[in-house]
Amino acid sequence: MTSLQESSVSPQPPGWARRIPRDERLFMWIVIASVAAMSAFVIGWLAWGNQNVPTASYATSPDEFSAQVAAFAEKYTGEDGLVHVPPGQDAYVLAARYTFFPELVLKANVKYRIWISSADTLHGFSIVGGNQNINLEIAPNHAYGVTLTPEKPGTYLVVCNEYCGLGHHAMRGRITVER
Amino acid sequence: MAYVERIPAAALREEPSRSCSVTGLRVYSGAQALTLANAVAAVLALAAGGLYGGLISLTRAPSLELLSPDWFYISLTGHGVGALILWPVFFEVAAMVFASTVLLNARVWSMTLGWTAFALMVTGAVMLNAVILSGHASVTFTAYPPLVANQAFYLGYLIFAVGTLLAIVNFAFSIAAARAEGAFEGSLPLLTYGVACAAILALLSLASGLIALIPAWFYSLGWIGFIEPIVYRGWFWGLGHTLQYVNVVAMVVAWYGIAALTLRSGPVNQKFTRIAFILYLLLTVPVLGHHFLVDPALGTEVKLVGGTLMGFALGVPSLMHGLAVMGGVESEMRKRGATGLFGWLKKLKWGHAGVASLAGSLLLFAIGGWSGTAETTLPLNMVSHNTMWVPAHIHAVVVGGTTLAFMGFAYLLVPLLVRRELWSQKWAGIQAWTYFGGLLLMVLAQSWAGTLGVPRRTARIDYAGEAPGGWDLPMNIAGVGATIAGLAGGLFVVIMVMTLLAGKKTDVAHELVPSGTR
Repeated sequence: MTSLQESSVSPQPPGWARRIPRDERLFMWIVIASVAAMSAFVIGWLAWGNQNVPTASYATSPDEFSAQVAAFAEKYTGEDGLVHVPPGQDAYVLAARYTFFPELVLKANVKYRIWISSADTLHGFSIVGGNQNINLEIAPNHAYGVTLTPEKPGTYLVVCNEYCGLGHHAMRGRITVER
Repeated sequence: MAYVERIPAAALREEPSRSCSVTGLRVYSGAQALTLANAVAAVLALAAGGLYGGLISLTRAPSLELLSPDWFYISLTGHGVGALILWPVFFEVAAMVFASTVLLNARVWSMTLGWTAFALMVTGAVMLNAVILSGHASVTFTAYPPLVANQAFYLGYLIFAVGTLLAIVNFAFSIAAARAEGAFEGSLPLLTYGVACAAILALLSLASGLIALIPAWFYSLGWIGFIEPIVYRGWFWGLGHTLQYVNVVAMVVAWYGIAALTLRSGPVNQKFTRIAFILYLLLTVPVLGHHFLVDPALGTEVKLVGGTLMGFALGVPSLMHGLAVMGGVESEMRKRGATGLFGWLKKLKWGHAGVASLAGSLLLFAIGGWSGTAETTLPLNMVSHNTMWVPAHIHAVVVGGTTLAFMGFAYLLVPLLVRRELWSQKWAGIQAWTYFGGLLLMVLAQSWAGTLGVPRRTARIDYAGEAPGGWDLPMNIAGVGATIAGLAGGLFVVIMVMTLLAGKKTDVAHELVPSGTR
């Protein structure tokens, strides 16, 4: 309410040519410094941190990936009907309305890579059991590879958290970790 | 100043007008009618979208599970479309009409174009609501292929978008015409400047939306057989995220509007404020990357720069406006004699609807802005993507920020336009605080649920008894908060309707726009 009115009393440089007051300039420096610090942290985390967003991905199709999943599941299905993944073997999970197939059994303290894709719509692969909170977007035509090392034995619920149709709330799967 | 052709007065069309008794601005009858029409449509859209929201929250409260899953997904779609698209865009068009005419002492450039735009927007809105209610469009407002709705859904979106586009054209030409007829001199008033930034973002948003939705419409008709979902999402979020920033810019305009009308305050510095508006224009579009942070097929560079780093940068203009609004209010209160570090806060009438909505909006937007900044970092996005943390953020910024600010601005603008006193100043203040309180409770509970991993956009969370323990309590609390907010939202609609129908006719300034200071 002040600076524009002043111009009617005495000649002033145009608005864009005037200096921003000291308080506002100080605020800007604090904000910019905060943004720089946060950016440094994020880049540092990517370079040196643990638990980063997976980057492995390959192009596929619902038919192709379903065949890969079927072959993998058949090879490693145990007597209990679950798929026991040996150390060093990549796992394959298909998201399809309304389930995640197959149910994996992993060994604790072993590094695994799990490839996930969709047979139909977008899905969300969300490991929520056991206070975990890992969320990935799953699309048809792309396989997404998450590398993880399970630590604590137990059964972990996996839910779909990307709306995929009228049965979305029932869509779930499971990962079991054994010693 | 550059040469501007002046239109001779004889060439301007005849139109009745009045001089506003409070602001001294010239209000042409066409501008008033078109502003009000869009504002009324906005409130009706809010009522429908808000009703759906209430039903959703009562379903997601595990103790109630009010709706069946089929009806839940209908409501989810209706809520997203009504509350996130129709309500804010209709209100923003009302603001565009107002900012390009009344604020400039000018006429609408073309009433035909204005009413055509309005008619198209209403048609699109009605089509959308009808097809959603029929159950043939339960795809949520994002409608990611290969999910597909009845073609009326996409057509409704497209018709609404074309109407909005025409309104933006009218906005631009109204400003140009106002300049040409000499209705105003010098820089655009701050509110018009802000609305112009919003309008430019809206153009970018609509362009992206058309690219997403036209093929989706063809897909629903069977004219094309396949749409790559990730590509659709890219174009859709070019529309969707940019549109959210139209809502942010409009919210900031509402902040300045409330501060001006209620507290006779301006921004702490005009240059600072106008630079902050321009920063929105420069930084918004790439930030659509934050929707792809945990998607396959996209490289980390895209996610890091578009999602995270630009996302941090986009917080800068919002912080600047937060300072400019609050600093401006503080400066004005000190001019009126407030002393001490916080004495300026004591000078405000905290029961006043304008003060309540401004303060509530600033605080909830700050909370949501913080949670958005957190979840746009890559590692935290992996922990929060598609959990309840996301709707917690969305509702804090869009409902707590934009909607509450729009409500406060409407409490001041509508009485001025119709020259009737607000139906109840006291209840308007109560409404604003109750809305704020309900939302705060809901957002905090939703954030809590999100950290536990509770998924969003889903009708049930029991998962045949396998769901982790502790999921029910925060969702029930969120239901309580949402119900409080929903009732307060209903009260807003009632106050608006009653003001239009039965508000006391007056021209007295302190009755139309009561002061928010002691």
